[in-house]
Formats: sequence, C-alpha cells, structure tokens
Amino acid sequence: MLKIIIPTIMLFPVIWYSNSTMIWINMTSCSLMINLMTLPLLNQAGNNSNNFSLTFFSDSLSSPLLMLTVWLLPLMIMASQHHLMKESPTRKKLYLSMLISLQMFLIMTFSATELILFYILFEATLIPTLIIITRWGNQTERLNAGLYFLFYTLIGSLPLLVALIYVQISLGSLNYLVMNMWFQDMSSSWSSNLLWLACIMAFMVKMPLYGLHLWLPKAHVEAPIAGSMVLAAVLLKLGGYGMLRLTIILNPTTKIMAYPFIMLCLWGMIMTSSICLRQTDLKSLIAYSSVSHMALVIVAILMQTPWSFMGATALMIAHGLTSSMLFCLANSNYERIHSRTMLLARGLQAFLPLMATWWLLASLTNLALPPFINLIGELFVIMASFSWSNVTITMTGLNMLITALYSLYMLTMTQRGKFTYHIHNIKPSHTRENTLMSMHMLPLIMLTFNPKIIMGLTY
Amino acid sequence: MKLPILTIIMTTIFTGTMLTMISSHWLLIWIGLEINMLSIIPILTKNQKPRSTEAATKYFLTQATASMLLMFTIVFNAMHSGQWTTTNIDPNNMIVSLTMIIALTMKLGMTPFHFWVPEVTQGVSLMTGMLLLTWQKLAPISIMMQMFTSINPIILLLIALMSVLVGGWGGLNQTQLRKILAYSSIAHMGWMMAILTFCPSLTMLNLLIYLMLTIIMFTMLNMNTNMTTLTLSNLWNKSPTITMMILISLLSLGGLPPLTGFLPKWIIIQELTKNNNIAMATVMAIMALLNLYFYMRLIYSTSLTLFPTPNNIKMKWQFQPKKRSLFLSPLIILSTLTLPLSPVLSTLN
Repeated sequence: MLKIIIPTIMLFPVIWYSNSTMIWINMTSCSLMINLMTLPLLNQAGNNSNNFSLTFFSDSLSSPLLMLTVWLLPLMIMASQHHLMKESPTRKKLYLSMLISLQMFLIMTFSATELILFYILFEATLIPTLIIITRWGNQTERLNAGLYFLFYTLIGSLPLLVALIYVQISLGSLNYLVMNMWFQDMSSSWSSNLLWLACIMAFMVKMPLYGLHLWLPKAHVEAPIAGSMVLAAVLLKLGGYGMLRLTIILNPTTKIMAYPFIMLCLWGMIMTSSICLRQTDLKSLIAYSSVSHMALVIVAILMQTPWSFMGATALMIAHGLTSSMLFCLANSNYERIHSRTMLLARGLQAFLPLMATWWLLASLTNLALPPFINLIGELFVIMASFSWSNVTITMTGLNMLITALYSLYMLTMTQRGKFTYHIHNIKPSHTRENTLMSMHMLPLIMLTFNPKIIMGLTY
Repeated sequence: MKLPILTIIMTTIFTGTMLTMISSHWLLIWIGLEINMLSIIPILTKNQKPRSTEAATKYFLTQATASMLLMFTIVFNAMHSGQWTTTNIDPNNMIVSLTMIIALTMKLGMTPFHFWVPEVTQGVSLMTGMLLLTWQKLAPISIMMQMFTSINPIILLLIALMSVLVGGWGGLNQTQLRKILAYSSIAHMGWMMAILTFCPSLTMLNLLIYLMLTIIMFTMLNMNTNMTTLTLSNLWNKSPTITMMILISLLSLGGLPPLTGFLPKWIIIQELTKNNNIAMATVMAIMALLNLYFYMRLIYSTSLTLFPTPNNIKMKWQFQPKKRSLFLSPLIILSTLTLPLSPVLSTLN
C-alpha cells in the first residue's frame, strides 16, 4: 500500500518545487502515474483480501473505491485549471496541496484495517474539503455551506467514536480482519439499539440520508469544481463503505432498527428526485440527484442480502463516475456563462456538439440506461428490495421513472431546443474538457464489459 | 515595569508554583499557592488601567476565598485524621472532600466558580492573560493529581461536565479574543478533570497539549496585538503564514482529527468508556463541538474569507516587526502534527 501512499505524499514536493508554468503538467502526469500503480489492486482474490500489512489491506470492496479515488485526482486537477488561472502560483499550489492531502487521507481511509484509524482519517478528510469549499468557493453562501458540512458530519461521527471504542473494549480488537472472526451477535436491549444508532448515524449523515441531507446541496453547490467532484464521487461513498464494513458487528439489531431508515430512504428518494424536476440551479439538480442515488445505496446496505451488497457497491462506483462527470459538465457551462441557472444557456448542442455528446452520455448513465453499470447497480438493489418487501417496487419504480424524467429534463433544457439569443461568446470546448469527459466515460463503458470487479464482497 | 522588579516578581511566581508542586505537607502547598497569588497581582495591574485594577480585584477575591477554603479543609483534615500529607486524605470524610474540590476548582476556574475567568482574562493584557491561563493552572492541578484517589468522582464529574457545557455555550456570544480563550480554558479544564479520578496521566497529557496550544494562540495574537475578531481580519495583511497557523492551531484546539488536539479527547473518551461512563463521554464529545463553532468563526475571519472578495477592514501600516515569538515553530509542530506519535503514550505509566 505504501507504493501508492508515499507517491501521493511526494506529490507535495512536486507541487511546491514546480515552476509556475509546470504545475499542471507535473501534477497531472504524476497523479496519472499513481493511477497506473493502483491498477494491480483490482486483481482481487475472490472472498479473500490482500493484506499488505497490519495497517493496510484491500479487498473486493475497497479496491474499486480506491481505484475511483486515485482515478479522480488527475480529473480534478484537469477540471480546476480554468478557475485557478488568475490566482497567484502560491494560491494554486495551496489549492492543489489541499487536493493532495484529501487524496492521501482518502487512500488511507479506504485501505485502513483498524477501524479507529478509519475513523481518524474519515474525520481528517473534512478539513481539506472544508478549506476547499470555504476558501475557494464563489458565493457568500459558501461560509454557511462549510459550517453545515463540518457540523453535520461531526455531530454524527462523535457518537461513532464512542461506539467504536466501546466495541473495541467489548470485542477485544477493532482490526477488521480480526473482527471478521470474532464478531458476536448484539444483544437485543435498548443500549444495543443505541449502539447501533451511534455506529450508523455518522454514515447516514455522510451518505446522506434524506432527513439529514441539508448539508449536501449547500456544499455541492458552493464548492469549486474539484470540491464538487470529490464530494460527489468519493466522500459520499465513505458513508457507504463505512456502513458495509460495520454490518458485521451490527447483527441482528439491523433487522429491527433498519425500518425507519429504509422508510426515510424510499420516501426521500422520491422526494429528492421530484425536487430535481423543479430546480433552476444546475448544480443543485445534480446534488439532489446524488441524494436520490445514495438513498438507494442505503436501502441496499440496510437490507443485507448478497445481491443488495453487490448492487450497492456497483451503484456507488457508477454513481461516483456519473455524478462527477455531470459536475464537470455543469462546470464547463459555468465557466462560459458564469451562472448556474439552466435557463440562461439553452440549445448548446448547436454550439458545442461534442460536449452535447458527453451531456447525452452522462444523462443516459444517470438515468440508469442498460447496459451501463448504473443499471446493474440499481437493478440489483431494486430486485433485492422487492424480495425484502413487495411494496417497495412501487417506490423504487417511481424513482426510476422520475430519475429518467429529470435527467432528460436537464439534457433537453441545456442542450436541445432553440438557443438563447444572448449567448454569443461561448468559446469552443477545450481539449482538456473533452479529455475530462472521456476519462469519466471510458471507465463507465469499459466496466460494462466486466462488472465483476466492482461487484464487491459478495460476488 | 522595570526589569529588576519584573524579574523578582516572575521569580516569586515561579517559586510559588514550584513550592506547591514539590511539597507533600499541606501547609507548604497552601503557602506556595498564596505566594503565587500575591505575586501575580502586580503583574495583573501592570497596565495601570481601571479595567486591570478591576480584574486584579476579582482575581484576588476569588483566589483568596479559595485559599481560605483550602486552609479550612487542611485544618479540618488535620484535626480528623491527624496528619498533614496530601496522599492520605480520607475519602469518606464528606466535608473535606467536598470543600477540597470546591477550593481547587475555584482556583482553576471551573463551573460553577468560573465567573471570574472571562472577566479577569479580558481585563489584562494578552501576555498576562496567557500567564493566567497557563501557568496558574499548574499548581492546583498538581495538587489534584496528588490527591486524586480521595476525590469524590461524582462531584468532580458533575463539575467537569458543567464546565464543558459552560465553556461551550459561554464562548458562543463572544467577539473579544481573550474571553474566547478564557471560555476555551474553562471547557478544557472540564475535559481534564473528567478523567482525573480514572487516569491522572491523561490529565497531564491534556494539560500539556492545552498549554502548548494556548501559548501558541496567545503568542500569535500578540504579534499584531489582536484583541477582537474584527482586528483579526487584517492579520492576512501582516503575515499570511500566521493566518494559516491560527487555522491549524484553532482546529487542533477544537479537537479535530488528524491534529494533536484530538488525541486527549480520544484517549479521555476511551478511558471514560472503559469505566462505563459512556453517556458522559458522548455528551462531552458533542458539547466540544460548540467550542469548535466559535473557533470556526475565528478561522473564517482570519484565513478562509480572503479572496475573491476583499474584506472591508482598513489596511494596516507595515512597521518593522518588533514582537518576539519564542518557540512558536516547534510548539506549533508539536501541538498540531504529532497525532501519529500517540503510541508513545504507552510508555507513560
């Protein structure tokens, strides 16, 4: 694992000692090389895990997420080039240092064995994200967004710390590999219900669950593009990853305690998808669509069947790539018209046809078109929830319909139709932007041919 | 103040605390505390303003009351147990254990005797306030660590919990930086005392990290003589590195991983959970978030709201820097980046 972590840490000197003209080139090429080194991780041994050391391991659940994280860093750097153009070199380097430190914490989080280390790094990812959102965001609302983001996550995760320490004292060890052998059933008392809640709420806030999702639209909208990308693609998946790891020790209380959360998720899915239909702000639409997709993941994880775990993992990876791509597309719009309102720039297909292709592909993957992995994820989750209870098909089916509705609404609003008359200086798409979109799309397409690497633990 | 006089007074303060820390006879401990208190009064009134005199009076009255209460407890203990050592106080003696705690927490500035801390800290200069919040805590904490087996844990835990609450809520409405640091001191004292009856070495750990962080904060504030949140906004003009250091130090003081300030909170929560005090641990952890909120406000006004919009503070004339900041760099590194060194705790006993 060090072969990935140490090069990521060494990106710091690469940044700070680079010429101001060579910053982007150095960063992008070095992070792409780190990508290359992470690829062998995907060679997972079935049910087993690659235990690199006492501290780091990677199994079929964490390696797709790790791959997503390292894949995203060069993409974030490419996406940030435009809005950092006018800043001084020191500020550019500071911004990139925040991205690198976030990357370092995320890699260590996804590969940590010891759950307390996972917790510390889980919290540690908050600080660079907070700095990126609050310092480099564009509107005054970013201050509020940073505070909401920080405090929602912290209030959820401090009980998690206490719960983890309690589990360590009662079980003996919090090392994940040891916990797999030593787990016991939780008693069915009120206190173990509280323990279950303490373990889960942190991840529910992070996912986010429908009632606790208030931080997400704020944070996603106010963050700069790299912040939005990493938030949507990876940080939300930290919640899912944590829940998937902790399900071992939370049996059988999950069967009783999960009902309110499943209810909230199913209802919240439909609610947030419906809100998307009435959004004027493009980034806000994508943010609410993230809430909706993640609600499916929460339902899947709480239902604890092999198919639902497969669906949850696949959906997490697929949504990560899709959502990040949608944010990049929204950002390409924002860089041209400096507004997030969808109404202002319509009919862009006439001006930027290649970008319209990317818009089309992103919208299609967002609405879970076969044969993309989004569909595989959603289908597995919907089938598992149908077998858990037949009634849920009404809500999940309705959600798929409304997802299709708002994705196509977003597509037709921005791309099709008559263009607005006041956009007369839309610059053509940069190669950088097209590369960015294709680098998002290619993994999505290629994973269609071999989805078993993203199917997670129970394949 | 003339240098020889300042030296004498500082030496006396030092002697007082040292006397308290090395004694095992109660009378000498009390004498040390008195020497300490009397010699810090001229330091508090160094400024010659009515506010300083008021602060010194408040300080004197509370500390003298606490010392008298302590003397009462010492004599009572001597009467009932016949000996004057600190380690042999009978915990079943209700009056002694209760009044001892009251006296010592009054000295430390813990709830419900915390009312003097913000006002005294506000009335004196920044460096004197630092002395008040750091050095003056050493003597009473050393006494409490010597007698920790005889303290009633329920009362101490109650006082600690209330201190954390008051320290969190009290600081929310403050814009004066010295008051903010005073409420931060109240909250941190709460954390320190919560773990005293279970594991005093953690009190020491928390004290060390808290001392380092408070010294750093006061030193950095002293660089530009910032006393309010408003003046803190033009710190970026003087030195942007210090704004970043304030960011990291305040996040560490608030207890965010992966900074060192998280370490005492983590280990204290662990020890409390081991002793079945889970509810207390959870409540204290969540109340520490209130502290983090007003630190975040300070961070917003120093470093996170610079560009792209300029703030509407007048620019400051750039003079030659004259304020010395001893040990700032090693202290900052020690107090923010040493969480990975936490296994070294296993070498403490």
